[in-house]
Amino acid sequence: MSEKAFAVLGLFDDADALMAAIPKVREKVSSPVEAYTPYAIHGIEEALGLRRSPLAGMVMVMGFIGAVTALFFQWWMSAVDYPIITGGKAPFSWQAFVPIMFEVTVLFATFTAGLGMLLLLNKLPYFGHPVLHSKAIEGITRDKFALSVEASEGAVDVETARAALLSAGASSVEALPLPATGPSLTAQFILRSILGVVVACGISGLAMYWAIKLFPVLPPMVHMEDQPRLDPQRADDFFRDGHGMQQPVEGTVARGYLPLGVASQDEAAVLVNPLPRTAEVLEKGRAGYTNHCVVCHGPLGNGVPTLTKAYNAKPANLVSQQFRDYPDGKIYWAIVKGKNAMPSYAYDLSEEERWAVVHYVRALQRAQSALPGDLAGAAAGAASGAATKEGGAR
Amino acid sequence: MKADAALQRELPEVLRTPELTVGPVTPGSLDDQVLKFPAQKPPRAWYIGFAISASVMTLGLSLIGYTIFTGIGVWGNNSPVFWAFDIINFVFWVGIGHAGTLISAILFLFRKRWRNAIARFAEAMTIFAVMCAGIFPLIHVGRPWLAFWLFPYPNQRALWTNFRSPLLWDVFAVSTYFSVSAMFWFLGLVPDIASMRDRTKNKILKPIYTVLSLGWRGAASHWQHYEKAYLLLAGLATGLVLSVHSVVSFDFAVSLVPGWHMTIFPPYFVTGAIFAGFAMVVIVLVVVREVMDLKNLITDYHLEVMNKVILGMSCLMGYSYFMEGFTAWYSMNEYLHSSFMNLITGTYAWAGWLTISCNVLIPQILWFKKARTSYFWMLLVAMAVTVGMWFERFCIIVISLHKDYLPSSWHLYKPTLVDLGILLGSFGLFFTLVMLFARVLPVIATTEVKAILPGGQPTHQGGGHE
Repeated sequence: MSEKAFAVLGLFDDADALMAAIPKVREKVSSPVEAYTPYAIHGIEEALGLRRSPLAGMVMVMGFIGAVTALFFQWWMSAVDYPIITGGKAPFSWQAFVPIMFEVTVLFATFTAGLGMLLLLNKLPYFGHPVLHSKAIEGITRDKFALSVEASEGAVDVETARAALLSAGASSVEALPLPATGPSLTAQFILRSILGVVVACGISGLAMYWAIKLFPVLPPMVHMEDQPRLDPQRADDFFRDGHGMQQPVEGTVARGYLPLGVASQDEAAVLVNPLPRTAEVLEKGRAGYTNHCVVCHGPLGNGVPTLTKAYNAKPANLVSQQFRDYPDGKIYWAIVKGKNAMPSYAYDLSEEERWAVVHYVRALQRAQSALPGDLAGAAAGAASGAATKEGGAR
Repeated sequence: MKADAALQRELPEVLRTPELTVGPVTPGSLDDQVLKFPAQKPPRAWYIGFAISASVMTLGLSLIGYTIFTGIGVWGNNSPVFWAFDIINFVFWVGIGHAGTLISAILFLFRKRWRNAIARFAEAMTIFAVMCAGIFPLIHVGRPWLAFWLFPYPNQRALWTNFRSPLLWDVFAVSTYFSVSAMFWFLGLVPDIASMRDRTKNKILKPIYTVLSLGWRGAASHWQHYEKAYLLLAGLATGLVLSVHSVVSFDFAVSLVPGWHMTIFPPYFVTGAIFAGFAMVVIVLVVVREVMDLKNLITDYHLEVMNKVILGMSCLMGYSYFMEGFTAWYSMNEYLHSSFMNLITGTYAWAGWLTISCNVLIPQILWFKKARTSYFWMLLVAMAVTVGMWFERFCIIVISLHKDYLPSSWHLYKPTLVDLGILLGSFGLFFTLVMLFARVLPVIATTEVKAILPGGQPTHQGGGHE
């Protein structure tokens, strides 16, 4: 019983020697013969009797599938799933889909050519191959040419193969033992993983699409549209009463709504207008009066409303003697609490605005019953007299 | 191969292809010469160059970070010039990439054997240029973290992308181009990495090379499929390289802006891309063959042939510019006419004339063989072309946009320092990647060069190759 091995390698120095040896060795041994070369040798596939590479056909089929896939998806997305007219084109404007069809064709074809060659046809990566652990490999990937008699199944007979290689002119012969362990991370494993990933992508893509269609409340990517917060009037079990928002503590005072500290309009007479009588304050008062009071009390304050025809009430004539005699506080009270048919304006006018309106009402009253001393060119004494008079009116 | 050699002998002296290597080169000496670089410490010049380009890259990346955090208001773009440096740089860098694919794919199909020595470097430059290019649309969108909206994926808005938009075609074209170039490059590297795996004694590098070479063992049955795959990829990449810049040109040509809406744009863009790319390849190869002492493999003949390509492309560019003017005149379209007059007499006319001089006038010096073989002239031309092609995109984008149909919105464009810094940074990124590549991977496709060395192929077959 002679020695057995996985393969027997014979080394040759140049391409010519290798090519000459191939038919001689193939004649003498029955096992398959393989060559290992540092670069591609033209014509070696015929010499070794290799089958034509089926890669071109694979690439063509996959390229075609790529084109059809791209056309199908563009048609389905643009004309079926969400038809939308852009640029005045029909939903299925196939001419515009050609560039992407071309790109996807090339993409499919390229990956078929590259990965199909490596993984499918060449079964690479293959890290445990005995040739990789031979002494000859350093020469093979450099400048030597090897002819190898290999076992398709089982092992080759070393003596026969050695004799055949030496007689064909091999400079040295090396027998490669059968590998102790199988290869790790094989092409088969990678192909299966890729297939698994592709299938998983397909399934998860479809699942995602239908999940979004069926459950539109479950957006996968919300970008801060949805923020956890408690809206007013919503229930929440944090508090015992189940209200998300609680009533303010008893006696809470809102900003700008300090209690007046008086119980009736008569008592309000003691309130003093805190604002100085300046042009700015009067302007503010005029704004407040024009926005809220003028519709009933009229632009002159004389109770002739701007809404006479539609509005059948008798607003107070603010320039009458009765109101000219009112202290500021009583007018203020009327604004805050309302009077007779007049509602409260506390929510429309801030504290400051209300006092400004009081000043403005005073100005209206004065305008309707001016004194001779008020005219331009009057003596300074008359002006001070007017001030005294007004003080008396309080 | 024999038939080829016999044919060579029959040809008159001037028509013979010169030897593609200088001096004695054997497969073994080739490996020793090319594959030694990853194993040894690089020279001082490498460290200096790397420090400079990495610093410039860092500057660019910081400014990109600044842009993202602050918003694209830090650029000079403003109505109506909404596209400026971002898109100029994108078109420029995608164009640079085209030379690599042309050399590796189209010249492969034409069986131009001189391409074998420079294909690897050119392919690497393609990938790095496309990487530089890819940054710009990404930051141009303003919120790069939402850039995935460009792809059609099922989303809660139930909307799909607009497949009638050239901008979407661009997304597909550029991403396909990058994937295909990367695949092409990696397949070419596998046998070379296998050579490095079997050479190295380094305990750290050996496992890395082992994994990257995928256990390549040079079996004849593998080479057969490999060669077929390479041929198919070359065919696919050829169609692709012509399509990519055409699609980029659609971004402009499909719109209605005067100066953009022209049928000449696709071929004009592809020509310009190859032109600019070859210039960049010449610049880098001159440095590489000097610094790495590869003058016997990347010979004067290689440089001369590339300069001839540059000259040819330059003439085609001249024709394109002339055609632009002719169309403006012959169409009698007053908008197109005023857009062209703007190019040669407007505010930015200096850029227009710079483009024409750098791309058409200066390269004419390459008609002289002396200029084609002199470093001074070829580098001068290559740099002029690089500058000129950048300004060509500036002219196309800024000049056409700043005066469109609405005179009320006419506005001059001025870049900011951030714009300039990011442009500079993209060059830094490119050269950093090129230098890293030259440091760790074989810069010449040794298996491809071995196959064309004299005596590399069997002689007794008598023209037995396909």
